[in-house]
Amino acid sequence: MTKVWAIAWKDLRSTMGNVPGLAMMLLAPLALAGLLGFAFGGGDSFEISATKVALASEDARPAAAPGQEAPPLAGDAFAGILTSEGLRDVLEVTEAKSAAAARARVDDGDAAVAVVVPRDFTAALYGAEGQKTAVELYVDPTQEFGMAITESVVMQALLDFNGARAAATVAVAVAGGPAGNDDAAQTAAARFVQDGGVSQALVIAERAPSAGEGEDASTVGLILAGMMVFFMFFGAGNVARTILTEDQDGTLPRMLTTPTPTATILGGKFASVFLTVSVQLIVLLIGGAILFSIDWGRLDVVAVLTVVTSAVASGLALLIISVVRTPGQAGAISAGVYLVLGLLGGNFGTATDAGTYATVQGFTPNGPLLRGWDAAMRGGGLADISGDLVVPVAFGLAFFAVAVWRFRRRYA
Amino acid sequence: MSIVEVQGLSKRYDPPKGVLAVDDVSFTIERGEIFSLLGPNGAGKSTTISMLSCLLRPSGGDATVDGHSIVGDAQAVKSVIGVVPQDIAVYPDMTARENLVFWGKMYGLAGVELTSRVDEVLELISLVDRQKDRVDKYSGGMKRRVNIGVALLHRPKILYLDEPTVGIDPQSRRSILDGILTFREQGMTVLYTTHYMAEAQELSDRIGIIDHGKMIALGTHGELVKIVGEEARVDVAVDRQLDGMVERWSGLRGVSKASVEEDHAELLVDDANEVLPHLFEEAAGGGSRITSVNVSEPNLELVFLHLTGRALRE
Repeated sequence: MTKVWAIAWKDLRSTMGNVPGLAMMLLAPLALAGLLGFAFGGGDSFEISATKVALASEDARPAAAPGQEAPPLAGDAFAGILTSEGLRDVLEVTEAKSAAAARARVDDGDAAVAVVVPRDFTAALYGAEGQKTAVELYVDPTQEFGMAITESVVMQALLDFNGARAAATVAVAVAGGPAGNDDAAQTAAARFVQDGGVSQALVIAERAPSAGEGEDASTVGLILAGMMVFFMFFGAGNVARTILTEDQDGTLPRMLTTPTPTATILGGKFASVFLTVSVQLIVLLIGGAILFSIDWGRLDVVAVLTVVTSAVASGLALLIISVVRTPGQAGAISAGVYLVLGLLGGNFGTATDAGTYATVQGFTPNGPLLRGWDAAMRGGGLADISGDLVVPVAFGLAFFAVAVWRFRRRYA
Repeated sequence: MSIVEVQGLSKRYDPPKGVLAVDDVSFTIERGEIFSLLGPNGAGKSTTISMLSCLLRPSGGDATVDGHSIVGDAQAVKSVIGVVPQDIAVYPDMTARENLVFWGKMYGLAGVELTSRVDEVLELISLVDRQKDRVDKYSGGMKRRVNIGVALLHRPKILYLDEPTVGIDPQSRRSILDGILTFREQGMTVLYTTHYMAEAQELSDRIGIIDHGKMIALGTHGELVKIVGEEARVDVAVDRQLDGMVERWSGLRGVSKASVEEDHAELLVDDANEVLPHLFEEAAGGGSRITSVNVSEPNLELVFLHLTGRALRE
């Protein structure tokens, strides 16, 4: 073990003393990630501007039944949903005095959608079964995206309102009230709406880094992850190439004349490649966190990804070195292989989630790794990345096995 | 008592049709002697030393080093040999001390023993003052010394030196040769390969002459010289046609052989001092004038020439 460590430490020291090599390994990925992030626009944010909605509520309180209190206005509850805090990022709602005024705003381009709550909205909700009404959406046909969002929100709200009414009717029936006791159902539905049950149910799911600083960091993080893996291939290739340069320089044959088993020498070389790319990755992770405020995710997930990514990069580099004869050949072949893998695996921001290309990416050693890093940055745990690691781990083991076999034959 | 016993050693690269670099070579090296393998470039010297270093697996035959087979017990062989490769094989971006420490670990040294051996070797190769300088800042001779020092760290029983003086200045060469003679005085066995006849002649207790992979002669310097009959060689150039002159010279007493070699005549003579005046007389008598004379006393060059018909180019 002392000899393995001595060989690994010697190579690591040599690599760390190679300034141009270090620049390639550490600065290039950071610089490229920064540049690409900037090129994607102001720090690469992807923000959806809030849809302007003109809301006109013509809802009128229906007459109260004898001896009963008039139900509260459901239109107010509906308006409260649209203007709620949770939807403020997607809907910018202003109230219009009338349906006509709301439509006029759409016609004038001041709003994308006009939402008109009909006069009988409360009556339909709390009234006798079979009574129906409709909320009107008046839309600017050029604002498809805003219309879709508004329609979705309104649809969800109406579903909840209808659900509240149905739930109340069933509850009264189950409680043993007389059939057709609409008064009790109305009261129950009104209580349900007023108590906030609807508004709490109507939420829009947000992904964790979906807005502001977090989103910027995540996108730069994805780019940096791609660059990291890509440049780790080169970093590993550079260190692995020392096997060939040492062979040419005579230090490797000399090592083989010492009472050091071939397996130990190869073990030291393998360890030096693995250690170097691990250090490279850790420095890049720290650099990304400091320079771009990237949250790489949970420490245990990052640790596992670091080990697997380093193992894949090391295994691939050693495999290539094991099948070529000279450092020159290694340089040319490595560059070609890394470039093709980078393109296929999505290291240049070309990753997709579906289609043939995604399938191809899934069978590259680097594509699933990038998905793993993506999942980590989204806060995923070990269970979330385990599926993404199957293919890279298989590749890594296969690369190492073939490289060991080839080297043992060559230096036996 | 032999420390190295080589029996029928052969090496063919890329069998079955590849080059037969070493062909059924056998010899022994006694403890404490300097044994030289002398031969031109490509003769098979380095291949032989590579097999004895367990770097190359023989195609045939075997050898034992300190009783260990190079085929069956390579690790044991490696622990008793020190190998100085032809090209400098140390790390240029490390200091001399760092190199020695690293290589010491490769030889299994550690702790206090490693430190003391590194100090001793630095003293031996006269690099104590420069031990903390990177090797790539050294002169060629200093690098050669580090190259040799690495092989001495573990006090090997036998030191292999593969043409260690190729391409270096005369002063460094002298220093290395003196060092090797010192190793012998200390009782170390040395296997030395060279294509420099003078080095083999100066250093060696015994010499094996190798050519085209075959051991063509083996013995002490004196024994080898006797192969050519202890005659001196005289190369003579004249200003006229050589053929007639060679005929006249071959009839002289003391001249055993005379032949035309390109632009000069080559004569083998018993005593050059005695024959030379007669050569001039015969030339004058034949109407020619001798333009140059070169006398070579019996040496390994002549032996090689005698055995192969070719010169051993230095």
